[in-house]
Amino acid sequence: MGGNQGMDESESDGDDDETSVAEAVAARLREVVFSYDPYDELPAAEDLDGEATASRSTDPDERGGPVLRGVELTIPEGGFTVVMGASGGGKSTLLRTFNAVIPDFIRGSFDGEIEVLGRDAAASRVSEMAEVVGMVFQDYETQLFRTSVPAEVAFGPENLAVPPAEIDERIDRTLGLVGLEDLDRASEPAGLSGGQKQRLVLASVLAMYPDLLVLDEPTSDLDPRGTHELVDVMRAVAADGEATNDGTSGKRASGAPEWAPDSAVMVTHKVEEALLADRAVLLRDGRVFREGPVRAVFTDVDSLEDSRVAVPPLVAAFDRLGWPADDLPLLPAEAAHRVHESALEWTPPARRNEAFRDSGNGTGTTESTGATGELGEPDGPGAPAGTGRELGETVFELEGVGFEYQTDRGPIRAVDGVDLTIREGETVGIVGGNGSGKTTLAKHLNGLHEPDAGSVAWHGRPVSGLSMAEIGRGVGYVFQNPDHQLFAETVREEVAFGPENFGLSGEDLDRRVREAIETVEIDDLVDRDPFTLSKGQRQRVALAGVLATDPETIVFDEPTTGLDAAQQEQFLDLIARLNRDERLTVVMVTHDMETIARYAPRTVVLENGRKAYDGPTRDLFADPGRLDAYGLRAPHVVETANELTDDSEDEGLPALSVEELVTGLGGPGAYGGDRDERSVEPASKGEDA
Amino acid sequence: MSTRSLYVSADTPVHRLTARSKIGLATALSIAAFVFTTPIAVGIVLAVAFGALAWAGGLRNLRRVWFIVVALFVVGFVVWPAFTPARGPTVLATPLGSLSSYELRFALGRSFRIVSFIIIGLAFVSATSNEGIVRGLRSIGLPYAFCFAVGTALRLFPTFLSAADTVRQAQEARGLDLSAGNPIERVRGYVPLLVPVFVNAVRQVNDQSMALEARGFDTRGERTFHGKRPLAGRDWIALALATLIVVGTLVGRYGFGVGAL
Repeated sequence: MGGNQGMDESESDGDDDETSVAEAVAARLREVVFSYDPYDELPAAEDLDGEATASRSTDPDERGGPVLRGVELTIPEGGFTVVMGASGGGKSTLLRTFNAVIPDFIRGSFDGEIEVLGRDAAASRVSEMAEVVGMVFQDYETQLFRTSVPAEVAFGPENLAVPPAEIDERIDRTLGLVGLEDLDRASEPAGLSGGQKQRLVLASVLAMYPDLLVLDEPTSDLDPRGTHELVDVMRAVAADGEATNDGTSGKRASGAPEWAPDSAVMVTHKVEEALLADRAVLLRDGRVFREGPVRAVFTDVDSLEDSRVAVPPLVAAFDRLGWPADDLPLLPAEAAHRVHESALEWTPPARRNEAFRDSGNGTGTTESTGATGELGEPDGPGAPAGTGRELGETVFELEGVGFEYQTDRGPIRAVDGVDLTIREGETVGIVGGNGSGKTTLAKHLNGLHEPDAGSVAWHGRPVSGLSMAEIGRGVGYVFQNPDHQLFAETVREEVAFGPENFGLSGEDLDRRVREAIETVEIDDLVDRDPFTLSKGQRQRVALAGVLATDPETIVFDEPTTGLDAAQQEQFLDLIARLNRDERLTVVMVTHDMETIARYAPRTVVLENGRKAYDGPTRDLFADPGRLDAYGLRAPHVVETANELTDDSEDEGLPALSVEELVTGLGGPGAYGGDRDERSVEPASKGEDA
Repeated sequence: MSTRSLYVSADTPVHRLTARSKIGLATALSIAAFVFTTPIAVGIVLAVAFGALAWAGGLRNLRRVWFIVVALFVVGFVVWPAFTPARGPTVLATPLGSLSSYELRFALGRSFRIVSFIIIGLAFVSATSNEGIVRGLRSIGLPYAFCFAVGTALRLFPTFLSAADTVRQAQEARGLDLSAGNPIERVRGYVPLLVPVFVNAVRQVNDQSMALEARGFDTRGERTFHGKRPLAGRDWIALALATLIVVGTLVGRYGFGVGAL
């Protein structure tokens, strides 16, 4: 499991493509070209070779022409393959060819050959392919058709004419596999939590006993624990495949049930989740850019960057330390092991003035000492903590806030007795498992919900006494899905909607709209129809629409869902900049622990509607046991730092970003070879850094 | 969380009947409501339907549509007399016109009738899951594709309500105030609500049909039905009761003039 083993495997990766030819094949694509435009004249696959031409937009989502541009791909039978690539690179489109959704359901313009499990998928109907290929689409809401859990699971097998007696057995088996065996069978699928729905959809697809399981971002709405559990299910499902990843969880469990699919293919944007697969495929501009065992692909920093896929944080960190490219660690245990074997020393970050921690460019790693260094300490319960900046006056004061939803099974206490104080200029993350009440709590901040119990005050005035127009001017709310608010014919009109409602007109309105558009950098899109923009752009338009009302606080509900790595980084950097330069108070509801680690100095954890933690994000991440109890998981960087700290004598706090991890290990280029090598070769290549 | 279908997940005697017997009873009651015209006779049908709805635990569904029910009742009650000849003693005289007892009883009977139809339908969907409705419709000989479409429409109803609620919140957060301004401005205020709801609905329907096919749904192929129940003793009793209601109603009304104005 050590570095050497990793190296051996990396070396053998090179000829993997040659050896796989002899293996059984789950899917094989040859010269596949596809455009959503049914009247597109498709060029031959070989003519689509090469880079996107200059005339095409830089945003791949809005390019016309073929989405798949000559895909050559072989998915070997057995094992778990992950497909990654920038937004608009053709990932979902590619998956849809596996079960004939393309070209049977979405006709478009298609050319090429697709062979899936020995069938000619290009000439089959979707319902025929459903006998062998199970597909889980991105939006679980559109995949639940029934009014009870067993009926939902039974739907697929019924369509395949499975005898009712056998369907009973399949229901028990698949619900057990996805961890829903304890769910009340009479529950209505529509009333389940997001995480339960996602699992139920998976069980419903597994109940068709497919040979190949295809998943399109199946964990987008799952909390960190749910994500991990689902990926574990995936690994178990494809367990009889030969594992090529020597991840710390070791060889997979004794084996999957015989009815489970032999192979699985998954699209995801979450890189830490992708590392748990066996094989990886990187798409770029509608073509396969790189493929191979997970270890080989995810340590190939250049290929990842070229295909706009996030470099796994530990790979990035060790690459920066100057670690040999063929021995980069993927998972925390490997990373800690690498450090122990080397001459590197781990110095945990001390408390410091976090306010100057910039996202991404590493300036925050500068240690500040003395008086300002002390400011990072929490001031006491309820106080804005973990930020050294001079915080302004109290913006929100929540006391004993409670909120109840009415359901079939009686009321559900979604928020229960929450006290919370938020001060001007803070960035506060609100996290918690699925159904813990995060969004419900956040909606109290701008009066979308009024508490059943307790009180919410905004600048000392009770929110319940304010009109939506009054509080809406001060508190903006950016919803998870921008499509729930875009309606105008041009971006300019869309952005002007809010300020117009608040009574602005003429010169003032124009100025506000212009400023908001410039801030989110969509100047070139002002006359475009918002519906023709990419998801990342639509997210920005939605934010501009809120910024134009000139709020002092913005609440973001899952700001990163549906964005690729580059888009996420851009959007979060923008939020960080507004917080820093405009003193915008930011409240972020999210499942993404990396977002919290990097952008929110203070975190509030909710558990079953109650506040379980409120304090510095760094302290929260310092205690993995507590995180686990909340159903959360630390990002790999944090986990690695915690392991290193545990092993050292020092008391210390975890690193929260790649930059901090690198700094704690001696800075860029600090790697000087293994401990043994050090005596032989004292001059390390990193010393000039 | 506001996503709720009309089906009430419970185990009441009404729920335990198969969909086929419930369709029989609902049809029988509807025929009775249609055939009778006096407020008392239609009122009895309405009371029975209301009792069934309450028995099935469906009163919460009534709360969701009470506004429509009341509106239909009031509109019927006001409009019917205009199309009815005045007969019998005058019950209400105003400077604008007078209301005869015949007009009153006629309007009351017709308004009870329309409300009965709604309550019977509500009781049926409250006590019958979508799958049951699909099976029930199919068992009376309708094509599966049609039955499935009905079931899916019922399933989607709460989903669209919930999406509409999210859109409303998003626009209110941006200062949309539907209660402000003159009537034209108010109507225009609905544009920011309707466009996103419509666009999302279209997108969702497309995604849903894709997911349906991926789950092997095909109206052409052979299929099985899980959870299908054979007719039990109580179903035979229910069907006999339904037959009795229909026969009794027709004979009473047309043979003896019971319940006719």
